[in-house]
Amino acid sequence: MASKKTNNALAELSSQLSDAVKSAAAYTVAIHARRRIPSSGIVWRDGVIVSASHTVRRDGVVRVALPDGESVNATVVGRDAATDLVVLRADELKTPRAPLAEAGAGDVGSLVLAVGRPGRNVSSSFGIVSAVVGGWRTVQGTRVDQLLRLDLAIYDGFSGGPLVAASGGVLGINNSALARGTATALPAPVVDGVIDELLSHGHIRRPFVGVAVHPVALGAAVVNRHHLTSETALLVVSVVEGAPADAAGILIGDVLTQVGGNDVARPIDLLDAFSGVPDGESVSVTLLRGGVPQTVSVAPRDREASGAIE
Amino acid sequence: MNAAQLDLDRQLASDAKSLAERLRRVVVEIHSPRGAGTGIVWGNTGLIVTNAHCAPRDVSLRIETDSKSWSAECVAYARDYDLALLAGPSLSAPALELRDAASLRIGELVFAHGHPMGIRDSLAMGAVHGVARHPRSGETRFVVADIRLAPGNSGGPLVDAEGRLVGVNSMVVNGLGVAIPALVVQRFVDRAGASRAA
Repeated sequence: MASKKTNNALAELSSQLSDAVKSAAAYTVAIHARRRIPSSGIVWRDGVIVSASHTVRRDGVVRVALPDGESVNATVVGRDAATDLVVLRADELKTPRAPLAEAGAGDVGSLVLAVGRPGRNVSSSFGIVSAVVGGWRTVQGTRVDQLLRLDLAIYDGFSGGPLVAASGGVLGINNSALARGTATALPAPVVDGVIDELLSHGHIRRPFVGVAVHPVALGAAVVNRHHLTSETALLVVSVVEGAPADAAGILIGDVLTQVGGNDVARPIDLLDAFSGVPDGESVSVTLLRGGVPQTVSVAPRDREASGAIE
Repeated sequence: MNAAQLDLDRQLASDAKSLAERLRRVVVEIHSPRGAGTGIVWGNTGLIVTNAHCAPRDVSLRIETDSKSWSAECVAYARDYDLALLAGPSLSAPALELRDAASLRIGELVFAHGHPMGIRDSLAMGAVHGVARHPRSGETRFVVADIRLAPGNSGGPLVDAEGRLVGVNSMVVNGLGVAIPALVVQRFVDRAGASRAA
């Protein structure tokens, strides 16, 4: 619906905002998979609905109420605990998918609306993008490329619903549980990446090598002798039997200094270094064993497929 | 930022300012021994609309504007709607156009004028969150807005971007502002006026 033209800029902005909510209402659904109130979801692709994982409390087939008042069955395809996303599939779904907002519409200071369908009707809240956080890390230690921090209220049933640009179009998925109850949204490109992984594998692949490490200070003498670039490295304190690290010959007591040519100073650096390794390929790991530098080749596996519980 | 955006920014600020100016002429502050609230001067009827909880029975009430202060008398109550009507014979203001809550669109801008925490003539901006209807009659019962209200906003006007009265701010529920729809308020004023005339 076109914005009503008036000579009042406030009225025009107001009309634009309500247009944005109206268009978001067309792709915002209500998911009935918990007690009390339903949660919001977005028709992200044809036949694919995404929502916040913590609000969809059941697996298997759940009931989804559509904007036109009808409802359909949808199947939970996969979840990602790190980004708190859940992907559902409803093959007979005819609801059009959410159009993406134009580039720059989610920059810091942009006017945005959170839209939810915690029941039959949509409701909204209004505010601004207060920060765009890059390289944000979740409590599980997984890196999320980008997260939007919002200055608006995410009311009951709003998690999983769209963050909408004032000019229309979806910017991301609202979530009040990702960062200690504060209002955040996972931006559309991150959501797309997670959906791709969940649809093709049913889970997010994360690298598994099977070592536990502890950071240790190396001392200036060791650093100088081996021309190292970091004074901290990672001491291997356990190796899982049969895991990629074991297969590569890594032993307890080895000190890992580099993976793929990058320094590893904190345990989390290992995860980052192995994340970039393509499926089935290996990466060189430089370590000190008994004070002598060595290089081994490690092929990380998919953590979930490995049955690892860490 | 280009020139067009700067212009828009100024235009928005000036529209908001003129909205605040218009509302300033319409509201008064209501004082009772139990606290303070806001009142809306209802055109030239000599009546002031406020919340019933801002005008308790059997206590002395005062109406204040920037320059003056009067003792006030309550002429009608509607407890179910948390509305009260005070007599303010010497007061008149431009009547606010009323906006039917049924025509409200989710996400449109709304503004609350009042005296939150005793801060005179504060304007708050928010958006329409939803409209609560009576489960049986379907009548609009409340206008719910995503807007920051505080004690002292009670009884004050919630208006749309064009300054039309959407409702009377009455309470805060789960952080959301809840207002009595303008048409409900008008009906209350009409009935009270009729029974006074009789």
